[in-house]
Amino acid sequence: MAKGTTVRMWRRTLFILLVLTVVGFGAVIISLVKLQLIEGESLQRRAVDQQLSDSTITAQRGTIYDCNMTPLAQSATVWTVVLEPSYIEDEETRDTIVTGLAGILGMEESEVRAHAEKDNAYEVLARKVETEVKDAILAFKEEKEIGSGIRLIEDYKRYYPFGSFAAAVLGFTGDDNQGLAGLEAQYDEELSGVAGRLVTAKNAIGTDMPFQYEQKVDAQDGYSLVLSIDRVVQHFLEKNLEEGIVNNQVQNRAAGIVMDVNTGEILAMAVKGDYDPNDPFTITDPAVAASIENLPEEQRSAARVEALEAQWRNKAVSDTYYPGSVFKICTGSMGLEEGVITTQSTFTCTGAANVMGTTIRCHKLAGHGTQTFVQGLCNSCNPFFIHIGDLLGPDLFFEYFEGFGFTERTGIDLPGESGSLYYTAEELNPVELATESFGQNFSITPIQMITACAAVANGGYIVQPHVVSQIIDSDGNIVETVETSVKRQVISEETSETMCEIMQQNATTGTAKNGYIPGYRVAGKTGTSEKIAEKNETGEEEYIASYCGFAPADDPQIAMLIFFDEPHGESYYGSAVAGPVWAKTMEEILPYLGVERKYTESELQKLDVTAPQVTGESVEEAKRILQAEGLEAEVIGEGSTVLAQIPEYGASIPQEGTVVLYTDEASASRTVTVPNFNGLTLAQANAAAAEAGVNLSVTGAALTTGSAAQASTQDIAAGTAVSPGTVVTVQFIERDQVE
Amino acid sequence: MASVRQGGIPSRRGAEPGAPARRGAAEQGKSPDGGARRSLPHRIRKKFRVFSVRSGLDMPFLFLVLVLLVTGLVMMFSSSYAYAYYNYGDSYYFILRQAVYAAIGVTIMLAVSYFDYHHLHKFAIPALMVSFILLGAVLALPASDGVHRWIDLGFINFQPSEITKFAIILSFAHLISLNFKRMDTFRYGVLPYLLILGATCALLVLEPHISATVIVILLGGVMLFIGGVKFRWFGAAAALAVAAVLYLVVFTQEFTYANNRLEAWLDPFNVEIRDLTWQTRQSMMAIGSGGLLGLGLGQSRQKYLYLPEPQNDFIFAIVCEELGFIGALIIILLFVLLVWRGVTISLKAKDKFGMLLGVGLTLQVGIQVVLNIAVVTNTIPNTGISLPFFSSGGTSLIMLLAQMGVVLSISRTSAIDKT
Repeated sequence: MAKGTTVRMWRRTLFILLVLTVVGFGAVIISLVKLQLIEGESLQRRAVDQQLSDSTITAQRGTIYDCNMTPLAQSATVWTVVLEPSYIEDEETRDTIVTGLAGILGMEESEVRAHAEKDNAYEVLARKVETEVKDAILAFKEEKEIGSGIRLIEDYKRYYPFGSFAAAVLGFTGDDNQGLAGLEAQYDEELSGVAGRLVTAKNAIGTDMPFQYEQKVDAQDGYSLVLSIDRVVQHFLEKNLEEGIVNNQVQNRAAGIVMDVNTGEILAMAVKGDYDPNDPFTITDPAVAASIENLPEEQRSAARVEALEAQWRNKAVSDTYYPGSVFKICTGSMGLEEGVITTQSTFTCTGAANVMGTTIRCHKLAGHGTQTFVQGLCNSCNPFFIHIGDLLGPDLFFEYFEGFGFTERTGIDLPGESGSLYYTAEELNPVELATESFGQNFSITPIQMITACAAVANGGYIVQPHVVSQIIDSDGNIVETVETSVKRQVISEETSETMCEIMQQNATTGTAKNGYIPGYRVAGKTGTSEKIAEKNETGEEEYIASYCGFAPADDPQIAMLIFFDEPHGESYYGSAVAGPVWAKTMEEILPYLGVERKYTESELQKLDVTAPQVTGESVEEAKRILQAEGLEAEVIGEGSTVLAQIPEYGASIPQEGTVVLYTDEASASRTVTVPNFNGLTLAQANAAAAEAGVNLSVTGAALTTGSAAQASTQDIAAGTAVSPGTVVTVQFIERDQVE
Repeated sequence: MASVRQGGIPSRRGAEPGAPARRGAAEQGKSPDGGARRSLPHRIRKKFRVFSVRSGLDMPFLFLVLVLLVTGLVMMFSSSYAYAYYNYGDSYYFILRQAVYAAIGVTIMLAVSYFDYHHLHKFAIPALMVSFILLGAVLALPASDGVHRWIDLGFINFQPSEITKFAIILSFAHLISLNFKRMDTFRYGVLPYLLILGATCALLVLEPHISATVIVILLGGVMLFIGGVKFRWFGAAAALAVAAVLYLVVFTQEFTYANNRLEAWLDPFNVEIRDLTWQTRQSMMAIGSGGLLGLGLGQSRQKYLYLPEPQNDFIFAIVCEELGFIGALIIILLFVLLVWRGVTISLKAKDKFGMLLGVGLTLQVGIQVVLNIAVVTNTIPNTGISLPFFSSGGTSLIMLLAQMGVVLSISRTSAIDKT
């Protein structure tokens, strides 16, 4: 063994070689297999995640239109300002950016700096800034030659051009344009559209990589909704509800629904005491906001949440209540349909009914005496309806109860619809049956009630109520049309017709006469419901005053339900609280919808006329003209020619009203004071008007039979100085009308 | 004997290793032994001639070196150009320098291959001294990034540990070949090496330079093992090493530098230590992105500033990303072949010095490759080890090629079929 390799060296070398190859290279090859072949995909995803800058292209949210294509909710482009601190070139640039952006965005410099100094590549600095602000930032970037570090991302902001208008129906959206309430939530998917993506490759400092990689998926804008809601009808409803809340000191908001009885389309749906969807997180009621501020710190946020939820709540579909006497239209329909009664069936009300030992009183403690069914409904006599319930029996009653849709949600296309609470046929013992017969002891939603009322009106068909009538895409193509959907027929056309007649009578001479509108044959029913649950809880008696009806009674078109929760005014009865509001609203809606007035002879006699043109005529000629029209003339001044007249030409004036004629300049400055008509009877009001020298135009219950009507509201406030002869419109209601 | 051409291991069993080498060389008529027949002046002249080796060099080994070098340059260019562009404004910044160094390196390699490696006997101890001096000097120089690893001579910037590795291999080969018969004794077979290794490692740990320490210990150990040191010493060393590591890891906080790296190693995607594991994570993502076939040459995305300094220690991650598992496997195979060929050449070297020197230099490449890829794939904790032929770095490339030149020089007198 000379100089060369020995066997042992040979062996040991080969051993080392073997170890290096098997253990060393083997291990790294196994690692490579693991990383590249087994975990390759997930690692690649991580890599791609950081390499690809994936910006979302926000889809424009669809518009919500009313039935005449007036936008009620629409989206406009705004911008999100994002800082990319890791991509800011140097400290000097960082300072420039901080100062610049703080100035443009009106933020504290320290706040901007806190963002700018984070070790992060995505810091949202401001959301939903307007395009002018974005332009200012772009100009700033260009001026200071800032290459990277500031990003502007397109976004959309939701605008509700009419503020709180129809807020309960429309709902609102959150920061990310997601629907949070109302139609915005219900149709979120349709409205949202599909966000697009722009994927570009970026290197670690955020500039584009030289290799070609850009993929753009265009955003698909959201569909728009066309509602059955009519902006004008909605406006009438909201305006009058608001007025009703003030007049009746309503504590817990009011709701109203206007529905096309034949199609189920909701023409208006309002909750008052609502919020501005442009700013949904602000508590609208200053009193509530103030009381929350006064709470101890720890209770404040819970109270805030509660207050917000209350103002967002759509009472028309989410609240349940005892429908009270309004439900009698259903019980009556059942009785007529089953033939257990006819319109002429009689029943004697003694002021109370005894059901299995339980005494259930009528609202008229003295009793209504013997009355026909028609009179019974017009009197809203509880014992009469207990009698009908008894004649029907629990099984038939419940069959119709179900038929009218009180056991199921209506399925209206709004979120948060409540279910109802009721007794099934098996659970309906005589006392429960008796109370349910006149609308107590079960809870339903207003939308269920109006749907049932529509069935009574439209020939017995339960239609599907809905708010959206059409879904259209961003190019205006129709994606979906909501057809009228009739679920079933619950009563016959004949019964429906009979009920319409009875209800018209009720609205003209019965308990519902506060809903009377001259010239329109309206059908209505009042309801006053005790809030039993609240009574049990707090001991306070609280009521819901409602009025449900439809018009015209001979060809029903629209139904309306008005609902005041906890009125604390002079009355809490449906007739006095909800009836006048219902009438006022309907009187505005019907002409707008093109329903023509058809006056009866007696109505024509009470109708206002229009003042003729007498200005410019001689006093003699003027008097002659006025006399021919059946109007009185009062001449003020010494002149011989009429220089001015009140009411003016074309203005309405009651029959036998007085037109004041001014004959010289001096007399034109004379004024009279509007008296306070509140609580006066028609005769007293007329006398007061004559004495004051104004004309009195009468609306409401005083135009129908009966003398119990009292003046309630007047369009010109008492004490206002007006020209003599000015027409003051006064609404009369029957306060003593209970139920 | 047919075994000459085969070079196969089984057929050699029992054969006297030296014999076939001599015969193989004789067949080519270029054996230095052939010179014995020549005249005395000629022999004297030859003895003092520096470039005295005229026999053919090993073509497979040269071929492997050049293939790896070219591949390395191509990959270095690909992985560095984004980094170079963004940091130096010139995509060619690294590749131009590296290409020049490669040219110089190849020239030196070829020159060294003509150089009779026996002259290196004379340099063994001086080299060791230089190594110690440099390791001492580097500690005295100001630290950069908290470590003393580099010596900057203005025109050149190099790591003394590169010299140290070569010095250890050379001096060990020198000492072992001289004391070969006494390698089983403690005094000649263990003690001197222990002292050299101990002193070297102590200096390296002070830098601190863990990866170099590991490589030096592995290289020294391998050479002693091949040199014939008894097994029990390795057992003792291994036991001691395990005990020391355990002590450091478990009972001290002194090794926080390494400890953090351990933590980063075990859970590289842990967000709490994301800054620490950035490089490892980026490397793993790059490797994973490559998949089976890779993104294609030049198509790496991780090199766009995600993977820090992709032209240096982590270049293999970019290789994996661009060439995929298949490409990475081929490159690993080239390295394996290089090591195998280098070891084979060395085994047939005409003397023990050549054998030990060749094996040491070849295994140094093999160990570095394994450790580098292990770091890049997070198989072991992150530590700075460059990938031979691939990583950017002029002096280390020149050093490497010069060392390959030594192996080639050994191959000239090695009894191996060189085509």
